[in-house]
Amino acid sequence: MTDEAGILLRVSIFGFVAGIVYWFLSYEWLGTVALLLLGAGPGFAGLILIQEQRHRGGTGESRAVAMRRLAGIPPADPPGPSDLEAEDLGVLPLPTIWPLAAALGFTILFTGLIYGLWLVILGLGLLGYAAWGWLAAVNRENRYGRLEAGTEPPSPAAGPVGDPRPHPDTANPDPESSAR
Amino acid sequence: MQPRRRAPAARWLAVAVAVLLASGCVPQSVTQQGQAIQNLYNLFLYIAAVVFVVVSGLVIWSVIRYRRRDDELPKQTHGNNRLELLWTLIPTVIVLVLFVLTLQAQNKVLDQSSQADVRVTVTAFQWSWRFTYEGTGAEVLGTPDRIPEMVVPVGQTIRVKLISADVVHSFYVPQTLFKRQAIPGTDNEFDLTFDKVGLYHGQCTQFCGLQHPDMVFRVRVVDEGAYQSWLAAATRRGSAGQPGT
Amino acid sequence: MATTELPLPALPEAHHEERGGIVDYLTTVDHKKIGILYIFTSFGIFLAGGVLALLVRMELAEPGLQVMGENTYNQVFTMHGTLMIFLFAAQVSTGLGNYLVPLQIGAADVAFPRANAMSYWLYLFGALIVLSSFFVAGGPAAVAWTAYAPLSTREFFQGTGMDLWIIGLAVVGVAGILGAVNLVTTIFRMRMPGMTMFRTPLFTWGVLVNQLLILFAFPPLTVVFALLFLERNFGAHFFDPTTGGSPILYQHIFWFFGHPEVYIIILPIFGIISEVVPVFSRKPLFGYRAMVFAFFAIAALSFGVWAHHMFATGLVYLPYFSIMSLLIAVPTGIKVFNWVGTMWRGSITLPTAMLMCLGFIVVFLIGGITGIFLASPPIDFAVNDTYYVVAHFHYIMVGGLLYGMFAGFYFWFPKFTGKLLSERLGRWHFVTFFLGFNITFFFQFLVGLDGMPRRIADYEIPRWTTANQISTAGAFLTGVSVLIFIWNFFVSIRRGTPAGDDPWEGNSLEWVTTSPPPHHNFHHLPEVHSERPAFDWRHRDDPAFASSHTDPERNLDRG
Repeated sequence: MTDEAGILLRVSIFGFVAGIVYWFLSYEWLGTVALLLLGAGPGFAGLILIQEQRHRGGTGESRAVAMRRLAGIPPADPPGPSDLEAEDLGVLPLPTIWPLAAALGFTILFTGLIYGLWLVILGLGLLGYAAWGWLAAVNRENRYGRLEAGTEPPSPAAGPVGDPRPHPDTANPDPESSAR
Repeated sequence: MQPRRRAPAARWLAVAVAVLLASGCVPQSVTQQGQAIQNLYNLFLYIAAVVFVVVSGLVIWSVIRYRRRDDELPKQTHGNNRLELLWTLIPTVIVLVLFVLTLQAQNKVLDQSSQADVRVTVTAFQWSWRFTYEGTGAEVLGTPDRIPEMVVPVGQTIRVKLISADVVHSFYVPQTLFKRQAIPGTDNEFDLTFDKVGLYHGQCTQFCGLQHPDMVFRVRVVDEGAYQSWLAAATRRGSAGQPGT
Repeated sequence: MATTELPLPALPEAHHEERGGIVDYLTTVDHKKIGILYIFTSFGIFLAGGVLALLVRMELAEPGLQVMGENTYNQVFTMHGTLMIFLFAAQVSTGLGNYLVPLQIGAADVAFPRANAMSYWLYLFGALIVLSSFFVAGGPAAVAWTAYAPLSTREFFQGTGMDLWIIGLAVVGVAGILGAVNLVTTIFRMRMPGMTMFRTPLFTWGVLVNQLLILFAFPPLTVVFALLFLERNFGAHFFDPTTGGSPILYQHIFWFFGHPEVYIIILPIFGIISEVVPVFSRKPLFGYRAMVFAFFAIAALSFGVWAHHMFATGLVYLPYFSIMSLLIAVPTGIKVFNWVGTMWRGSITLPTAMLMCLGFIVVFLIGGITGIFLASPPIDFAVNDTYYVVAHFHYIMVGGLLYGMFAGFYFWFPKFTGKLLSERLGRWHFVTFFLGFNITFFFQFLVGLDGMPRRIADYEIPRWTTANQISTAGAFLTGVSVLIFIWNFFVSIRRGTPAGDDPWEGNSLEWVTTSPPPHHNFHHLPEVHSERPAFDWRHRDDPAFASSHTDPERNLDRG
């Protein structure tokens, strides 16, 4: 069990125990339900984490591998350039206006609950348009990232990404060479 | 223990602490129920003062004593299990003691005697109060401009039934050290037993709209004879002037 | 990057260069810029809320109505509470967390950078909706920030201001949940290799617990706002006793959110203090695991104490909530003692960031101790809803939050900008703030014990005047101290001393990168073998600390 799952499960146990104790002390249903939900929510998240870890096996993946996985790049790719700038800029998203547009649409939609249906429709329209633009941008960047990772050959001079050595040479006077 | 050798600064400090402690006390309670709260509060205050002085003293001491003097790195200690256990257990014990004391005081405060001498229904509304004396027909109705007075006899158990006509209010007489919310749809009952004759200020403390600060009332505690004659007069006035009570 | 032969349309190449400018901020998905936006927006709201607080203090300086009428006063204190609690206090730490968490765990960005931008914009638009209620007919809500039903229902408050208040805060709540999902995922999944959960810096822990609390406390808030909105606009009767509803229902759900909210505000501040104190004591944090345990104990207990705000209703089971509330003192005590333990036998310097931490410990101690009083139902009967409670939670909120926030600003400003804040002005800031704050709120304890209710525009008891006048004077001194801070900001950002990468000899990873950090955060990362990677990196050639590199499971020196 990972630390993360352990934390969530402990919160969950607290929620269940507190909820049960509270019920038998007070017979007040609202707080009991709230406390039991507090038990259920983190418990669910914790179990998901445990199950996912079983699927994935060990946790010893390097940041580069993890970043590639998060970006949807297959882990079997040959290691890319070793410096973090190239690594990170390969997976960091580009600036985009769509989060702002989506937030605006969402807000207009909610304001429509006060001022009338036409604002709800306007907000929904903007939200839908922003969601479409957002997904298109994500899609384009993902394809771009995959192609880039595939087309760029590993640079042999720079050394491997996931440093196989468990510890850097502490006697090395040059900080840059022991840094990854 | 040797006051002569104490520096004047220390004496001033002691005086200041005493004044602060004294001014940090709650007002004198005028009810039997409030007396329990007053004792509990003062006990909490003394324990709190000790805790505050000890902890802030430790902070100030360590800042003065361990100021940086050279570039040498101090010993890199990461913790101490025994100490950490100690300062987990001590607060736990203090807290449990406070909890037991709290329960005892709470039982005294909320105890309802089986036989109430006077029963008053207090209706809170925006923005004043109505005091109805059950079984007599006497009634006092206030407005924001005309402050109502709840007249009660000294030394007798008064059962207050608190209801609200509109929003949530709160019945509070500072010198009883007690308040209770008036919640629409709910009857809240509690006992007050006044020890001292006098006129006491009371006010709504739960924010209830525009004229919330004007929702003031008074409690006039009188002796038994004065109460009976007031009640007789109020009953006459009540049944004549305000039908339907 | 070789992109010439790609069949896709060319993407902008220079996106990682510093461009500045408004378009850049409108489209940014960089966690650092979003963090800055959060901090500036919430600080602006803090200033607006502060002006409202000064208006409240002016009105209360004397009995009678001088500055404004009762209705205006009710609107002013309602909006003061709303702005400060919902739109400032819970958000400024999200801003700091947004900026610092990826840096502290060695990540290039948060897990969902675009959603991160969206949660900021939702927060901004929600805040604007709440603020827009100043301009509608009837003005903003005048129902106190707790908006107890039935006072906040259509029957007792007709204005559109109330609806805007609900909708705006609901949007901010959605922003909070979205941001929490993002930051929790970031902390759980984006830590660099070697950065185990129990090596993450305490501020990251604070943000983690804070965001978990948001995740579990904001849904009830959204629920209660939905119920209230349905009741106001669509004829529902959840809180109307004449048709089977229950006014107490509102208080239950609201406070089930409301008490965790206190810790949502204060836990990241605990994290900041736990970062700053070790650095300026030149020692590791005393009892790291106990500190983490205390975070979770406080967070878990905070969900079991909601009804201590409802002791005076007479409708809750008192002992349960009393003991749960009292028990929170234990983990909080562990924290305070561990800070003292960190300073003990240290090598302490006192720049403004550290002064703010010391101020925090003392002031928070008073707030915490008076919290013990309020956890006891009989005492709560006496002082609940009086100025005693006002003073108590300002000692927690203003005292705790602002001292910690300023400590964080002084500590991380060099990282954000590459310049140091002026220490001379910083000292003035600290002294005026410490005096002003204590003058303002200490006397409210006394007048509260004397029975002065909160949320009143006018009082009829003449002996309350003195304390109120002192309090008002203190409030203006506090205002001056904030002006000194703003002045310090502008002076330092123009002509501040260059800070370098690591002006304080910091412990966590943000101090190994440049100031300000590059777009992708790190050019190189040291290996992580303890909870102080930057410290280990700085002492990598020191034989006394060589073991920290070769023995990752080394026994920490635990005295």
